[in-house]
Amino acid sequence: MNGGAAVVGPLSGYRVLDLTDERGLLAGRLLADLGADVVQVEPPGGSAARLAAPRSETTSYTWDTFAANKRGIAVDLITDGGRHLIRRLAMRADFLVESSGPGVLAALGLGWSDLHEVNPELVYGTLTAFGHDGPKAGYAESDLVLWAAGGPLQPNRDGARPPLRMSVEHAYLNAAADLAGGMLIAHHHRVRTGRGQLVDVSVQASLGVDTLGRVLADSVGDANPEWAALVSPTTRTDQSGSGSGTSSQLKKWSCKDGLVEFHLAMGPAVGGFTNNFFRWMHDEGACPERVVAWDWRALPALVEAGEFDDSDMQEARALTAAFLEHRSKAEILDAAIRYRLLCIGINDTAYLAASEQLGARDYFATVGEGDRARTMPARWVSGSVPLIDLRRPAPQVGEHTAEVVGEWLGDTPALVDSGSRGAAS
Amino acid sequence: MTGAALDGLKVADFSWVVAGPLVGRALADFGATVVRVESSTRVETARMMQPFYDGQPGAENSALYGTCNAGKLGVTLDLKSGQGRAVARDLVRWADVIVESYAPGQMAKWGLDYDTVRADNPSLIMLSTSLMGQSGPWAKLAGYGNIGASLSGYQDLVGWADRPPIGPFGPYTDYVGPRFSLIVLLATLDQRRRTGEGCYLDVAQSEAGVLLLSPQLADYFDRGTVAQRRGNADERFAPHGVFACRPSDSADRFAAIAVCTDEQWAELADEVGGPVLAADPRYSTASDRLAAAADLEQVIAAWAADLSAEDVQARLQRRGVSAHVCASSADWSRDPQLAHRGHLRAMPHPTFGTATVEGPRYLLSEAPGVVRRPAPELGQDNEYVLRTLLGYSDVAYDRLVADGVLV
Repeated sequence: MNGGAAVVGPLSGYRVLDLTDERGLLAGRLLADLGADVVQVEPPGGSAARLAAPRSETTSYTWDTFAANKRGIAVDLITDGGRHLIRRLAMRADFLVESSGPGVLAALGLGWSDLHEVNPELVYGTLTAFGHDGPKAGYAESDLVLWAAGGPLQPNRDGARPPLRMSVEHAYLNAAADLAGGMLIAHHHRVRTGRGQLVDVSVQASLGVDTLGRVLADSVGDANPEWAALVSPTTRTDQSGSGSGTSSQLKKWSCKDGLVEFHLAMGPAVGGFTNNFFRWMHDEGACPERVVAWDWRALPALVEAGEFDDSDMQEARALTAAFLEHRSKAEILDAAIRYRLLCIGINDTAYLAASEQLGARDYFATVGEGDRARTMPARWVSGSVPLIDLRRPAPQVGEHTAEVVGEWLGDTPALVDSGSRGAAS
Repeated sequence: MTGAALDGLKVADFSWVVAGPLVGRALADFGATVVRVESSTRVETARMMQPFYDGQPGAENSALYGTCNAGKLGVTLDLKSGQGRAVARDLVRWADVIVESYAPGQMAKWGLDYDTVRADNPSLIMLSTSLMGQSGPWAKLAGYGNIGASLSGYQDLVGWADRPPIGPFGPYTDYVGPRFSLIVLLATLDQRRRTGEGCYLDVAQSEAGVLLLSPQLADYFDRGTVAQRRGNADERFAPHGVFACRPSDSADRFAAIAVCTDEQWAELADEVGGPVLAADPRYSTASDRLAAAADLEQVIAAWAADLSAEDVQARLQRRGVSAHVCASSADWSRDPQLAHRGHLRAMPHPTFGTATVEGPRYLLSEAPGVVRRPAPELGQDNEYVLRTLLGYSDVAYDRLVADGVLV
């Protein structure tokens, strides 16, 4: 199968018909990484995802990475022949995944109920912005707008300026990963019952989890979850290790070669990490006895007893700032491992590409040859058995049409209906 | 008759905080029996994290803990004691799946590492999820998801171009990691069904995080491009931003607006500036608008400032322009679309009357997820788990209680 070495991975042997555009490409990629035979369907003119940012003059890196590991066929869904071909392929598929928008495939006779009829075992995964029906199903949407509707945007502010999204489009990616998980749950149900089902993921509903429970504050009657304001130990203390209740700027510090993420964590669960930090400073001769003696595990109680106040906090912060300013990210990383610190340099993609840790874990892989060669993240899980197999670059338009039709349907290329013709490159 | 997708699946959940517990939560929604192991003397971090029921901090009051652990049974166990570890070993013999998220090496200290537990239970699947993974020079790096977000590049990618980065809201890799954990766990469960073989899985939250930056990494490897933060601007489209609207009861209100097509621009321009702006030839193409983004966004900002965020959303959506209120928790909990999907799930709770959690994020048409009960209170199911699931006798159970092991 797949015209190469035997495919390994826990999903080898399963077939996925992938009708997604850039919004849903990731779901199929994840299944392909685990061994499934994923066939990406594009219109003969090429997928819209081939224009998705970031891109060079000749390629989209979104396409190159999230369509990697798939085979590609070109099918014109506007023609009867093309739709017929999709229905025939769907009869042989274990999974179908799509992200065309509410009702789009149903209007072409390729919706869930249509294909369920021809293949009752099919697991049909669909990804939409808000859902297929409901008051906002027809809303115009985009990454930023979904980030706003789903909850993670509103609390993420830098001072008085408006809330900030990530400068990479992630709303659909979170939901596409959910869709892959949901489809596998449906697969387990199919194993028991012999029946497939519809798996329906909405991006808006997927993003609540990306707020660390904040979206639930209103429902549970927490009227004042003022995450950004919880910086004073004299008010309700933030006892999370991540400092999720502390304004983001208070966790950023300058160091010799950039910025550092570090939260002065307190409370029984995580204050020990802060103690470790002051112990490091003390070992380096940069922390007075009075300060290293503070037990951050017991800090909430010290505050209550009046033994620690805002001026002490200011002193701790001033000492920390002065200390970190003269340390490099590499020194801080080294200390973080030795002393167990919740303190780390802030890194960009160049740093990630050269990361010693990712390198040691064989994380990146290169697929394709010549102009098509791409190096990308690959081994997103390790284990005691073969799991991830990144085996081919993203397909060219219609690259595998004949091959896939032959394997899945047993047709010779000459018999392939016109829906795919004119696409061969 | 058909039952739930994962009916009969037995999960021993040794995880904590967010990235681990969310995995078992998903399994429980679809029928698995999930036993969450905790300590009442070293209370896990999520229990002390907001939001809290009625705004009152307390180990039983966290809605975050509540949503990460709904549907599970709760056991408290002193893993420092030999008796406690013996109970844990029995639990592992009972289980099909172990999920754990302690620092690498911790499970081995308790005699619960994969090599040991697999000797008792060869078909077991054990999932470890950690910040950096179980191997490599930085495996021992401590941290929560904000550290993960630094190590996977996200802290640098959120912020204004003229200011230092602020990072995403909260521990971003804690949200991404469990999604990947669930996928690989379900895939290997299917493999086990076919082969009888168990396995060990090592999901590094930072690596899951970096996978979502695949396009940016491929761009770097290919051309040396380093991804940059740029506020709310888009590489291709303008206007594209978050705009302050009329405050409501002194609370800041914002709406997100993204113009992604020429048609959307014509509609937005007509709404904001009338036919003159809509017909202005200086802004007719996407690249024109990108070049003039600052001016255009100033015009929109002035328009939005006098309107409610709801009004901005309604006026633009009526015209097919993507716009939405920047949803607060209150907006979100009243969102008609989320309500339509039944996303929030309420259920009776012994202390609060009603517990509210997020529902499953995947709606299955035939065997939908069900949140069967609120998250456990500390030690709530000790007796049921030990006596009914593990088959301990009255004497053995009473001894463990008397010896202070189930704490």
